[in-house]
Amino acid sequence: MPESSDVRLLLPASMTARVSRRLFLGGLLGAGATAALAACSTGSGSGSGGSGGLNIYTWGEYDDPDVLSAFTKEVGPKITIDSYGSNQEMIAKLVAAAGTSGYDICLPTHQYIPQMAASDLLEELDLDKIPNFENVDPAYIDQSFDPGNRYSVPKAWGSTGYAYDTTAVGRELTSWADFWDVAQNEASGSLSLLEDPGEIAYAYFFANGIDPLTTDEGHLEEYRAFITEKIAPHVQTFESYPGASITNNARVLAQAFNGDARAGILENEDPSRWRYVTPSEGGNLWQDNWAIVKGAPNPDAAHDFINYVLDPEVSLAELLYIGYNTGLKGIEEAAVAAGAELPELIFFTPEQTAKLVFAELNDAEQAYVDIYDELTAAAGQ
Amino acid sequence: MAADPVAAPAVRQSRRRLRWSVGMLALPIGAWLIFFFIVPFGLILWYSFGEKPSLYVTHSNDVLSLDRYLEAVSPAFLQTFGRTLEISVVGTVLCLLIAFPMAYWMATKLSPSRQGLVLALVLIPYWTNFLVRTIGWQITLSPEGFLSEGLQALGLRDGPLEVLYTMPAVQLGVVYNYLPLMILPLYVALERMDHRLLEASRDLGANAVESFRRVTLPLALPGIAAGMLLVFVPLMGDYITPSVLGGAQGGMVGQMVAGQFNRAQNWALGSAMAVILMLAILAVVVLFVLVARLFGFVVRRVQHVDLTAVLPAQGAAR
Amino acid sequence: MTGLRTDAGVAGAVAARSGGERPSPGAAPDAPPVPRRRRRSPTDVLIAIWGVLGLLFLFFPVLVIIVYSFNTGRQLRSWDGFGFSSYENALGNPTIVATIQVSILAAAGSAVVSTILGSLAGVALARRPSARWVGWLTLLLGLIMVTPEIVNAVSLLPWFVDLSNTWHLSIFAIGQVRLIVAHSLFSCAVVTFIVRARMAGVDESLEEAAADLGAPPVRRFLDITFPLMRPAVISGALLSFTLSLDNTVLSSFVSVAGSTPWPVYVFASLRSTLRPEIAAVSTLMLGLTLVALALVGLVLRRAQKTTGDSGGGLAATLVG
Repeated sequence: MPESSDVRLLLPASMTARVSRRLFLGGLLGAGATAALAACSTGSGSGSGGSGGLNIYTWGEYDDPDVLSAFTKEVGPKITIDSYGSNQEMIAKLVAAAGTSGYDICLPTHQYIPQMAASDLLEELDLDKIPNFENVDPAYIDQSFDPGNRYSVPKAWGSTGYAYDTTAVGRELTSWADFWDVAQNEASGSLSLLEDPGEIAYAYFFANGIDPLTTDEGHLEEYRAFITEKIAPHVQTFESYPGASITNNARVLAQAFNGDARAGILENEDPSRWRYVTPSEGGNLWQDNWAIVKGAPNPDAAHDFINYVLDPEVSLAELLYIGYNTGLKGIEEAAVAAGAELPELIFFTPEQTAKLVFAELNDAEQAYVDIYDELTAAAGQ
Repeated sequence: MAADPVAAPAVRQSRRRLRWSVGMLALPIGAWLIFFFIVPFGLILWYSFGEKPSLYVTHSNDVLSLDRYLEAVSPAFLQTFGRTLEISVVGTVLCLLIAFPMAYWMATKLSPSRQGLVLALVLIPYWTNFLVRTIGWQITLSPEGFLSEGLQALGLRDGPLEVLYTMPAVQLGVVYNYLPLMILPLYVALERMDHRLLEASRDLGANAVESFRRVTLPLALPGIAAGMLLVFVPLMGDYITPSVLGGAQGGMVGQMVAGQFNRAQNWALGSAMAVILMLAILAVVVLFVLVARLFGFVVRRVQHVDLTAVLPAQGAAR
Repeated sequence: MTGLRTDAGVAGAVAARSGGERPSPGAAPDAPPVPRRRRRSPTDVLIAIWGVLGLLFLFFPVLVIIVYSFNTGRQLRSWDGFGFSSYENALGNPTIVATIQVSILAAAGSAVVSTILGSLAGVALARRPSARWVGWLTLLLGLIMVTPEIVNAVSLLPWFVDLSNTWHLSIFAIGQVRLIVAHSLFSCAVVTFIVRARMAGVDESLEEAAADLGAPPVRRFLDITFPLMRPAVISGALLSFTLSLDNTVLSSFVSVAGSTPWPVYVFASLRSTLRPEIAAVSTLMLGLTLVALALVGLVLRRAQKTTGDSGGGLAATLVG
């Protein structure tokens, strides 16, 4: 559009811009300004770098939101949380990102810590910055998978069992053998399994009296045949957090972690409709730990946060929200005193604990993952 | 518009500069796409010839082989692949069947102002997040949801709705999600159609069905082809709809590929699967184009009217 | 009396001659509708019913989400009562607000990048349809459109990691940059085709005239080319913005912690618990998108009135 020309051009009427350039540029500026404003507020808060934030990569529904906002209010850093459904997913993400993931804290389950440390995925902890570490019950520190707690600090420990809908399953269930039986009968098509390859394998081994830490090829082949041929057709879905499904009565039978099942049952309109079973043959004993990711942008904030949650009161609040034993000294008494519901789903009796097996990462791990892939493919038939 | 044969050298020079400078405009996008699309794809093509050496190492290309491709066409993968192909083909056809009458209605039966309104109405759901729309179906189809309760209350069903987490749920989801992509090209093609041709056809004695078959349909073919392409391709690689609605039984290839990267840390196998997926899509598209060409060729031969034979005195009537 | 040629080529010629627009250009103003609408045949009614049912089908889940956004329950799926608590929670949740900011920023950035790249390429393709490189570029663009997003995603992540680690280009470790680059790939192909379709119908003689009069290329572009393609550029930008806001699979693979876009957050919640806040935010974003659409529609309609496009103008430019 000639601005100061003395030459009049013969242009078709359509060339006369109805929307003047000024209006158009103004619109662009407006959009740009909005974007800039958005950038400003993003940059100061949850920026991708060490600008006063804290990025946690953890399991879903695994922290009390009140605890998180209290941390931000008292200590400062704003927290962002991303969640995953299995250790394999977490490790795959950290390995793929090779230090650029931007996460500060992750929550590996105990058996993966040695390998993660060896693969250079974790930073060493500076325990001087975590004075509340002395609150942790000595039974849970200095374990075989992380001597001296160089890389990790316990967050919570629990076990795996299953929950079932008593209105759909007439009989009383007590063992993993019952679980697999009901899976093929009353719960067919309404069954959910955890997304963890190892957990499903352990459930099979316990039911059949095999040591879950086995690496014997014969055992693995038996497991593969059983799970892909007998069980696959009955699975409705794979979910790591069946609590929501339990609340909605969307399943009849769900393999579940004890705390998640407890949360789901308590939220259900009729909690007595569901029962959680700690199977009689035993179960997987797992311990989730706070660890700092290699290349974390905010290591100081990470240490502060870990220290914060090891405070007895904060730990109690976490326990009441997530429903798992947080492993601090005297936490069980405190929880009972605070009136926690369904405490038997949080704290195990000595008889139950005796049968729980501490999982280990061994050569069978690759086989578990391969069989799980086959299972998910076979489940579609 | 033709170049002035006696234009001064200066004018010719500036025109050549015009041509050259216009051509350069395509350079940035070419470089961008090559750097961020072709090269990464080449990278995973490279990975697909490698292997997974140990548990926590994702890939290694020390030993090159086609073994990953053999592994990728294992029975488990092929079964999922077959299911994906089935869902995609059925989904595309269903989209076409549902979209065509809608597009026809929009293009021919509505006044231009109404057309704009209805077009906007078609597009508005499309402006909602894909994932959230699919979650809307998850809520609707859930066994404890309002639809299930409603159907049971009306006596149309004995028990809770059991569609969710099955293949039909995924089928419904994909048809819903990709329907606008089929409606749009059909609408454009039908809207461009000259209605005088239909009038002429009626004047010459064809009834509605014949007019449709011999006039409307051939004119709409480019739109149909575009729509089918726009629907089939993303449908084959869809990752979200089966994740939300499919559960264990509605798995599709996209999830398998993702699983190799997200969980199994087997980049070599995942890359091989991704390459196979792309080749399969290309193969189906090429096949479709060939079949369509063949079909068009046959139809044209059959319906061709040689006017030179009818009107020899006037020569070719073109 | 000529025989009726049902050859589609003839129809195409007719359509092309009239510029692909409605017949009877110029001369008389729009004649009243042709008598074909005089009698409403049963098929007409049936088709109309089908059309309306189709629209309802398309809107159904969106309505479900909007309704459930007023759910006061803890979970999205189980209705607990009517209220605005989910909106309060959503806007008061710093994580959610942060993801929305990330999404909008990424969408704006990707729209800018795709529009610039795509418009330039669209002009080049329209003006030089017979150049040597046209075939290659069209093939490249077509390849992008037939690549499923998952393949794109699994290839981009290792590449970004390689760029930031091995090549030490640490800009590619910034989450926002990754998102913008990733979202722009498909969008720039779309914008290219839209702009090309628009420019293909426009004469080059205006630009040649400007060149003859001595205007430098930049001036030529700003004064002649750009105003001509403005509607296509606007629709392209809008489309890129929307595609980027919607992008889930690619984002979930390449995103960096702290720069999680909104759809990735929803996808992750899907695996654990879906809350009504998600429906609330989606409803809000839908509202905002509608407002933006209305504004653009207004702008485009003004352009339409002057260039005489038919009602299918917007759709035609969208689909090319």
